[in-house]
Amino acid sequence: MALSRRSGGRSRLTIALLVLTSLTLLTLDFRDAAIVQSARRTAGNVFSPLRGAAETVSEPFSNAWHGITSYGEVQDENDRLRRRIEELEGRPVLDEDAAQQLAELLEQQNLEWVGAIPTTAVRVLSGSPSNFSHTVDVSKGSRDGIKVGMPVVNGAGLVGKVVLVTRDRSTVQLLTDPDFAVGIRLLGTQVTGTARGQGKGEDLLADTNIEPDAADLPKPGASVTTSGVDRAAFPASIPIGKVRSIKESRGGLTIELEIRPMADTERLAFLTVLLWEPTP
Amino acid sequence: MTPPSPLLVAVRTSLILVIALTIQLGFAPGLQVFGVQGDLLLLVAIAGGISAGPDRGAAIGFAAGLAYDLFLQTPFGLSALTYAIVAYLVGGLQDSVLRAAWWIPVLTATAASMLGVILYGVFGTVLGGDLIGLELVRVALIVGLLNTIAAPLVVKAMGWATGSTKHARARAVYR
Repeated sequence: MALSRRSGGRSRLTIALLVLTSLTLLTLDFRDAAIVQSARRTAGNVFSPLRGAAETVSEPFSNAWHGITSYGEVQDENDRLRRRIEELEGRPVLDEDAAQQLAELLEQQNLEWVGAIPTTAVRVLSGSPSNFSHTVDVSKGSRDGIKVGMPVVNGAGLVGKVVLVTRDRSTVQLLTDPDFAVGIRLLGTQVTGTARGQGKGEDLLADTNIEPDAADLPKPGASVTTSGVDRAAFPASIPIGKVRSIKESRGGLTIELEIRPMADTERLAFLTVLLWEPTP
Repeated sequence: MTPPSPLLVAVRTSLILVIALTIQLGFAPGLQVFGVQGDLLLLVAIAGGISAGPDRGAAIGFAAGLAYDLFLQTPFGLSALTYAIVAYLVGGLQDSVLRAAWWIPVLTATAASMLGVILYGVFGTVLGGDLIGLELVRVALIVGLLNTIAAPLVVKAMGWATGSTKHARARAVYR
């Protein structure tokens, strides 16, 4: 009996110490202690070969599994992509003209044009290893000039930003992650705001500076891009998505926008990292 | 049969942790069911509790969670906190789990996996996230089912690592 009580006391002491240690680590992380990022980077570097090997081995299984579980979706996607290619074949000339005009306009306003920023193409190696973070790992790291904070895009628009860099791979936080935030501008207006991720498959939610009784409320379908205002975390004019719906904020003082991202973050294969660092 | 030395237990447990981490990072993201993947590190923590009791189980859970946290962009220490508590609670059930039918540890692993996901969501929400909702329940159910598939193997592996065969555990109870 005495032995059992002693053993119970030791167990409680152990769990108390472990809880205390966890809380200390959480506090360090919330205070952005460099040691946490450094530990993550080191673990990423050390584990990289093993992880890479596992990903290579798992790829055929993963593809087969995806084929089995999403056969219908893959077929629909193929049809949709064929139609889209046909639509896009005649567009390059118009796009080139529009890009030229946009570059001139941004230059007049002293904003950097995204088309002039050097880039590097990366391959998506794996999705998030957790059900609660929305990230992907990509095939290049610090050796290729990638740094924390750099924006990541694909042909459709903004995909996310780099949050961890090791020697030969980087982790990209997707724009659907609840911790992701980006300054936005409604195309062709002076309406700005901040959009935040709401989770996998969900729209972004943006607070704006528009009052609910304003005369010219944004309409569903309006295009949204990065604002690129002074000290922004992203350069201007990266397409983000389209306004899906408009609603009053909780306090009723401004309106919020639900934005459907252009980029499909569920199916990412190749991405482009903009070699652009936000101004500190 | 003499129980393995603490050093051997540490080496074997570390080996299982590395294998579980490799599978979780390299395989699990590509093998999702309805957009949800199994949580092998949580299962290792639970199996640690089943095999080694609340004391060592909590330490194994903490180590598993900490290793996982190194590769996630969620708050650092959140998995370690959750897995240590879940392993501790499961370890508390140790005696009844140990001497019961084979399916009891498996069922325990299923329930504890769901509990682990829910606890993670609750702690994550306390820390500023917005994880509580129907989606959390959906994730917990699927993780519970996926972990059930791997539970017999992982419980057996942790039994080997900690030297907690049924016979040895029975002796430990009467010691």
